[in-house]
Amino acid sequence: MTELLFLVKYGEIALKKRNRGAFVKSLKDSIRAKLPGLQFSVYETFHRVFVRFPPEQEKAISAALTRTFGVVSFCKALQIERDISAIESAAVGLAEGFIAAGMGKKFKVETRRADKSFPLSSYEISCRVGELLLERFPGLGVDVHTPDWVMNIEIREHAYLYGPSIDGPYGLPNGSSGKGLLLLSGGIDSPVAGWMMAKRGMTIESVYFHSAPFTSEKAREKVETLARTLSGWAPGIVLFVVPFTPVLARIKEKAMDEEVTLLLRACMTSFATLLAERSGAMCLITGESLGQVASQTVESMAFTGSFTELPVFRPLVGMNKEEIITIARKIDTFETSNLPYADCCVLFSPAHPLIRPNQRKMKLSFGHLHVETLLREALEKTEKVTF
Amino acid sequence: MGGQETTYLDWAASAPPEPDAVDEAREVSLRLFANPSSPHAPGREAGEKLEQMRSRFAGVLGVEAREIVFTSGGTESNGAILLSLLHRHRLGGVQRQKTRVVSTAIEHSSVYEQLHSLQGHGITSAFVAPRPNGAVDPQALADALDEDTVMVSVMMVNNETGAVQDLEGVARVVRDFSARRGRKIIVHTDAVQALGKIPFSLRQLDVDAASFSGHKIGGLRGVGALFLRENTAPGFLSMGGGQERGRRPGTENLPGICAMTVAAEKRLLHLEQDRAAARENARLLIHGLREIKGAWIFPSAREEDDAARYSPYIVSAGFPPLPAEVVVRMADSRGYCISTGSACSSKKKDRTRVPESMGLSHETALSAIRVSIGPSTTAAQIDGLLAALRQDIPPLLSIAQGRGA
Repeated sequence: MTELLFLVKYGEIALKKRNRGAFVKSLKDSIRAKLPGLQFSVYETFHRVFVRFPPEQEKAISAALTRTFGVVSFCKALQIERDISAIESAAVGLAEGFIAAGMGKKFKVETRRADKSFPLSSYEISCRVGELLLERFPGLGVDVHTPDWVMNIEIREHAYLYGPSIDGPYGLPNGSSGKGLLLLSGGIDSPVAGWMMAKRGMTIESVYFHSAPFTSEKAREKVETLARTLSGWAPGIVLFVVPFTPVLARIKEKAMDEEVTLLLRACMTSFATLLAERSGAMCLITGESLGQVASQTVESMAFTGSFTELPVFRPLVGMNKEEIITIARKIDTFETSNLPYADCCVLFSPAHPLIRPNQRKMKLSFGHLHVETLLREALEKTEKVTF
Repeated sequence: MGGQETTYLDWAASAPPEPDAVDEAREVSLRLFANPSSPHAPGREAGEKLEQMRSRFAGVLGVEAREIVFTSGGTESNGAILLSLLHRHRLGGVQRQKTRVVSTAIEHSSVYEQLHSLQGHGITSAFVAPRPNGAVDPQALADALDEDTVMVSVMMVNNETGAVQDLEGVARVVRDFSARRGRKIIVHTDAVQALGKIPFSLRQLDVDAASFSGHKIGGLRGVGALFLRENTAPGFLSMGGGQERGRRPGTENLPGICAMTVAAEKRLLHLEQDRAAARENARLLIHGLREIKGAWIFPSAREEDDAARYSPYIVSAGFPPLPAEVVVRMADSRGYCISTGSACSSKKKDRTRVPESMGLSHETALSAIRVSIGPSTTAAQIDGLLAALRQDIPPLLSIAQGRGA
């Protein structure tokens, strides 16, 4: 009986010997979490992860695997009886698909026989299948050095035929590297920063500072869309929406115009630290890139970073805008980020913000805000949305 | 939103439809569904209805039925007359003459942007700036006319400030210039915000073409009209089945046309009475706004009761440096629907074109909100909006102003 499978190859997981079992479990959970409602099973055998599925779900499952961190590559596999005529007819069917997909005419057959009790040797199997394909599909030619496609055959407890390999996103499986809190705005950078940490296996929680009526409902919806898009990569993303207007009002009331942006960032960092304490996140993640704007100079980052005991991960710090945009396009957040709903009103972006803040002076300015109570109140009013 | 009552004060963007107009559209949709061009009995009946409507709509405007072309709305009407220049300009693919349009800096984007796009086709245009009071000086417009000018397009009522333009003055200077030079200049007006709201006579104004929209007067979306004076026959660009005497091909939107006509007649019938009520409401609104600290009325020259110079149906104000969208969101959260400067352009970055052309700074221009009212607007609704603004503006304004530099 023929069954359809995806054979999933994982890279770094295998290197982490002692944790491998746990990692494989989280990879499996991650694939499962990605496909709620679909009928499939994930199992591990011979240090490989297989996903078994009914034929009509091939597309959905393939799409999910390309977005599952920890997957290096995967390929479609047919599991068939250990019988040479079954292998031959399956190989013809598979080759038909390769030819129809325009994959080319030069091929080779590669066989591995893990179970030596099978009556034919690897070489004999390759020859028989190769000859059959040449006979069935005139125009095909064997090329063992630079084939357009390879017919892979494995003989184990069953026989397996593999299709071409499809790249996965690499990285580590979702949830295998602790939990971080992402400061998510509606911009291009922060979703990319979250994606990069998720790629390293981090569970992502995100926080958005909403300042109605200075920021619009559309801006909030945009951030929700971004969180939903990220959840396609890292299922179960949480978004905390913080009513931040009272904090903004306090800053505008007490601070000099040029200090507004930095003090706002400092308040966000302080708030995020409180929130992380409550939710168990072990680090903060931001989309800052060195020198991109006034609040992202090393002096500014030193200042805002001093408002938390937690490590602040800034995965984009050494990247150019173009590089960030390339990733944003790849992960499908770019178009949403590019929507024109300004998430931070012009009022809070002074014309001449500080670029090299004096740390001591700014600390004093922050002290004059007396925002601790306001931050605690905002924490109590924070909404939680799970994607 | 929690069952909160909504007060609609965004009539200039789209007016609530008149129930009579909707009933008429429904009845006509069901009964006279045949194509008005078809020769069979139902088709003929639809065709007759269409011509009745044309006569009735022409009656509202005091013009001849054959001078009315039904379109899909104000934008298409404006586009059709402006794009007709392309036909004339490059007839047979050969540029015959220099073609120039004189217009204003305060036109709706369907005129302003269309003219900019025509520049790419060699049709030049000049945009005369208004005076600080929002009205374009006919003399300034006269100064912009030159040998190549073939069309002048000036709106009747500005959709952002309500400023009524001196169309009669405009037509007069154009006719004088034209007579001296011996070449015809078409005078077009975008009258979308004027129909049913301010009294005017196309004949007396002496304009050649005028654009109208159905949904701004309580008709339906997707229908409008272009008045085209007899013997003003620029070639039209759209080709098709020859409907509207070849000027606007496409199966006629009979239900929409009926709804627009019914609504227009109703507005005309009650024009003076509605206008008196609108004047009172505008007075109340401007008076109340002026009492809020930090409020500006745009243009600042506008008096509380200034119906000769401003449409009482549109009031523009602001609380600089508070951005307009903040005020709009605040009002929305209180159940009041108002808009930033102009609803059509509120999503665009260049939405400050009109207020800036009147001499306002960019920051002040960004603060411009528009409250637009209609026949069923009540004094209580205006009071409600003012109460909400009185309560919520001061704290927002103090946040916006901040401590300063």
